[in-house]
Amino acid sequence: MQYFFFIIKSAFEDFRRSKLQTFLTSLGILIGVFAVVTLTAMGLGLKKYISDQFDALGKNTLFVAPGKLLQSGGFGASSLLGNRFDLKDLNRLKRVRSITAITPLSSKSGTAKGTKKSEFVTIFFSSEAFFDISGFEIDKGRLLDKSDIDKRAKVLVAGPKIAEKLFGSINEALDKKVSIDNVSFTIIGIIKSKGGGGFGGPDYDSYFFGPYTTGFIFDPDKKFIRFAMKTDENINISTVKDEVKKEMLKRYEDDEFSIVEPTEILSIVNGIFGIMNIVLVAIASISLLVGGIGIMNIMYVTVSDKTKEVGIRRAIGARKNDILFQFIVEAVALSIIGGALGLGLAYLGILFVQPFFPAYMDVTSVALALGVSSAIGIVFGVLPARKAANLEPVEAIRYE
Amino acid sequence: MIKLEKVTKSYKIDEETTFYALKESSVEIKEKEFVSIIGPSGSGKSTLMHLIGLLDKPTGGEIFIQDRKISHLNDDQISSLRNEFIGFVFQQFNLIPKLTVLENILLPSFYARKKLNYDPREKALALIKRFGLQSKENSYPNKISGGQQQRVAILRALIMEPKLILADEPTGNLDSKTGREIMELLKTLNEKEKITIAIITHEIDIAAYSKRIIKIKDGKVT
Repeated sequence: MQYFFFIIKSAFEDFRRSKLQTFLTSLGILIGVFAVVTLTAMGLGLKKYISDQFDALGKNTLFVAPGKLLQSGGFGASSLLGNRFDLKDLNRLKRVRSITAITPLSSKSGTAKGTKKSEFVTIFFSSEAFFDISGFEIDKGRLLDKSDIDKRAKVLVAGPKIAEKLFGSINEALDKKVSIDNVSFTIIGIIKSKGGGGFGGPDYDSYFFGPYTTGFIFDPDKKFIRFAMKTDENINISTVKDEVKKEMLKRYEDDEFSIVEPTEILSIVNGIFGIMNIVLVAIASISLLVGGIGIMNIMYVTVSDKTKEVGIRRAIGARKNDILFQFIVEAVALSIIGGALGLGLAYLGILFVQPFFPAYMDVTSVALALGVSSAIGIVFGVLPARKAANLEPVEAIRYE
Repeated sequence: MIKLEKVTKSYKIDEETTFYALKESSVEIKEKEFVSIIGPSGSGKSTLMHLIGLLDKPTGGEIFIQDRKISHLNDDQISSLRNEFIGFVFQQFNLIPKLTVLENILLPSFYARKKLNYDPREKALALIKRFGLQSKENSYPNKISGGQQQRVAILRALIMEPKLILADEPTGNLDSKTGREIMELLKTLNEKEKITIAIITHEIDIAAYSKRIIKIKDGKVT
């Protein structure tokens, strides 16, 4: 044990004496570990962000959308342009007993005029069940209720962000009138912030939500872009899916609609991000390889520089393996210094991007970074170390 | 204790020429002896010293250490012999610059495979005190004088309690006064501690400290 500490101590004494060289040598590993850890953290963060978004939708939710959603590589054009659903479909689906709540969804975008400024906004038109299905909670005022739907009330529930933008504050926005494309609505409530948005995900905080019956003002055809429903927790979701499908097939061809579980989308998206992340990390790993070669190169130089020292150590009784071990320890130490600095830098980088990107570092990436850098030290240190160990004592001690 | 029997060390220069650094030379050093090997430069005395010190292998003949044939030993066993049996003192001191005085002295003990029946650290500190190097134990070699460095080298040679101290021109890099001090020190070690000492030198004055002189010339012991 004392022997081991001594070897490490004398390696660090060398580093202390040539700090700049040590730093430059470990720079390759530093950059490599930084890149790998940062990319992994971003990949993990993105994955977590996406699954959180889907979790927010709840476990027992299903969507029915027009067209084939999960075929031919994702959201096909038919889902946006193809046939749309109507009230008849809504009434049919309401008959499926394993569905506990259902809402049709349609949307309208337009310019909203508030007291502070005007904004381009999107309104989601739905039933009162929408908030429960999607997990929205009220902050101020009230959510939509059944009578709003029945009376085709011109009321809206606002996301906190848009409320603040248009009226200056949430409190100001409550009970105010907002006109969207010349139709005047009353804001009856503001939901609690859902977060999200920012990159790709829907930013619910910037939406308005109104009764679907009121939405018909903008759409005389009375069509819906999708149904969202909550299923009975006690019934297997695939059973519910089959029942919904049976109901839908009565009116549509198999390829005219899709029934989607959020978890299905999640696994597809996760798969895509998983592959993307592997590719990125593989590219970043090249810099680790280059870093390793840098260490090997410097270790060869070190062996030449230390020929005399090797000779002295051999003369006083060091075995070949002692010398081998000494040089490998030095290479590993160099590599771990780089790894630790890279890890520290990655940590700072992640802290820096966290406000606007959901990156996070886990224990695995820390362990992996340090493990990989020690492995690099061993792999790339062993050849120079063997050269040192195989020096002839008599040649080495004569070396000047 | 150590015996070289008709030992030859030759180097092939090209197909036809072979250079003999040492030719069929026999040398025996007995226990508790103080011998000097004297010869002009190029006489083969360094080669002889490397062979006695087990740093090199002969191309002919046999070396015995306490009647054991060296040619039968592998590299690890020879390393252990160097570690336990022999203490080296070199002309250039050969201390390791990045290690402190104490660490340099302790270095052989880190490579010891046998269990020592003393604490090397305590022993090193005692030696440091005895040889007038106290307060220098945490200094680095470049911060102390040549004479002190050579003394550190001698302490490093002593830490494993070797049977033989092999000193190659130990005074070569020292002024004559310091050189005399070092020689007196070696003499004391031989007389008081009964350590066998072999020194390699080209100076008659230095050889005069020893009790027996082995002369070497043109690769032959005379």
